[in-house]
Amino acid sequence: MSVPAIAAGRERRQPAIERYLNILGPLAMIVAIGVVMAIFEPRFFRITNIRIILQDAAIYMVLGMAMTLVITGAGIDLSIGSISALSAIIMAIFIKDLNVAVYAAMLMALIVGVGCGLVNGLIITLLRVPDLITTLSMDLVFRGLALVLAAGAVLQRFPEPIPAIGRGRILNDTIPIPIVIGLVVLLIGVFIYRYTPLGRYAIAIGGNRESAMLSGINVRRNKVYHYMLMGGAAGLAGIMLTGRLNAVQATVAEGFALHTIAAVVVGGTVLFGGRGTMAGTLVGVILLSMVTNALVILRMAFFWQLVAAGVIIVVSVAFYSYLERRGKGGSE
Amino acid sequence: MSAPVNAPVSVAGGAPGGAPLLQMQRISKHFGGLQALKDVDLTLQAGELLGIVGDNGAGKSTLIKVLTGVYPPDGGGIVLNGERVRIPNRRASIDLGIDAVYQNLALVDYLTAPQNVYLGNEIKRSVLGIPVLDNAGMRKKAAAILNDRLGVALGDIDQHTFNLSGGQRQAVAIARALIQEKGRILILDEPTAALGPEESRRMLEVVQRLKRKEMGIIMISHQLEHVFELADRIMVLRRGRLAGVRSTAHTTRQEILGLIVGSIADYEADAGAAGAAVTP
Repeated sequence: MSVPAIAAGRERRQPAIERYLNILGPLAMIVAIGVVMAIFEPRFFRITNIRIILQDAAIYMVLGMAMTLVITGAGIDLSIGSISALSAIIMAIFIKDLNVAVYAAMLMALIVGVGCGLVNGLIITLLRVPDLITTLSMDLVFRGLALVLAAGAVLQRFPEPIPAIGRGRILNDTIPIPIVIGLVVLLIGVFIYRYTPLGRYAIAIGGNRESAMLSGINVRRNKVYHYMLMGGAAGLAGIMLTGRLNAVQATVAEGFALHTIAAVVVGGTVLFGGRGTMAGTLVGVILLSMVTNALVILRMAFFWQLVAAGVIIVVSVAFYSYLERRGKGGSE
Repeated sequence: MSAPVNAPVSVAGGAPGGAPLLQMQRISKHFGGLQALKDVDLTLQAGELLGIVGDNGAGKSTLIKVLTGVYPPDGGGIVLNGERVRIPNRRASIDLGIDAVYQNLALVDYLTAPQNVYLGNEIKRSVLGIPVLDNAGMRKKAAAILNDRLGVALGDIDQHTFNLSGGQRQAVAIARALIQEKGRILILDEPTAALGPEESRRMLEVVQRLKRKEMGIIMISHQLEHVFELADRIMVLRRGRLAGVRSTAHTTRQEILGLIVGSIADYEADAGAAGAAVTP
């Protein structure tokens, strides 16, 4: 056995095809949907429609980045929809009822999000309540608080930059701002994954909690960080959603958690932790948005979206299981 | 690379002379109703390799986990270089220079060898004032340790440790313990248990090479022949108690076996009788 790779001193990477084998599955599905739509409904490919797809995907890019980290660390967060709603409602009340400056109110939304994540993290690590149960319960708590605070009101017409964040465009009115935000957040996710202890420890904690602990990693503290980041992302998603509709009520963002988890898992992040990719999450988010959009354009009843989403998740995970058996499960 | 001042092996005989590197005093630990350790003493000199043997459930791994902060002891104290220390968690033991290669190796399958080697002790560099992981640097240094110091080739160093052989994984686990500059104590828990004869042989050579360093090594093993080959002293645990400590040069396999199974009288109760009982 020789070690030329090391002697050469240059980074020798796995061939790209192997590294990204895990997102070839969802990519293939994206192509398949493209082909089907090209045949049945060419309007699917209009710029305006593609923009709609990406705009829908943007919020899930933000949520998906943090969820990738949470799931990699063998956690799960079912409370993100409620966190988004609570953050947005508090921001809206600050602006509309308390006349707080818009940027201060937006900052408040992020703080509320991070705070909710902190609560989740502390319950999980200090009280040792399983991640699933904690976030399922706190989903009710946060949603309840949002409903209490909003008292049935729909708050609308927010000052800039909130509408811009949700539906504005830059570069000659071409690129939607939410897409830019989504991609920047995902890039930050790539950075966290590759270049920070936070990302590396998430892989270690999710892959082998005991090994992580024996390596001197503070497992509980890192778990709390994951949920705080997730909460902050949910707060940002709440601002984006408020901007997109230019209105908010306490019942918004109901399906955020399951849609985000589905996108992350479709993208190849292993639900039991230890492995995940931001690139895969991007692909998963776009795939799910495409499916939703395609069914709308084909005028299928909304309920078919549920059927399609379920089928896609099962097919993707079956694909990963197949790769696993071949011993080529990938990760970043 | 010869050790100049400390003539370590000479310590091996009888009672230790100068201040020992490590003393564990009257360590006790129970799990519920199970007394895993009872008043166990351990002394380790710099440059010495101490073998720990005993039957399954004798308390070997528990003793190691107390020393590395995984289990807080119920009673007893730890003195490191003459100073009493508290080791409440694994991090604290790492910071004190106590490194361990656990029996299960404690590797993360879906990290690469360099990522595993530096896990929890990453090298960082500053980019625009932000500390980021120095992946290239860690990769280079891990490769150097694996290739040069341990003499193990991994082929593709960027593959997940999941794909490595038992011997390669063992080497990665040992490399983790070698990155610490201030590493003073190295604990090897069953370093050859998962290895074939060929790999075991190479691992023993590696341990032999490590021994020249100014460092104390504790090796747990079921393989008496390996312990006799490398250890300066042999400590025997039986049912959570210290059954005896012998200098390797002045004992026999029969005596150690006797201490392990309890057919030789308790060390502390009657050392003389134990000595008498060995003659085959």
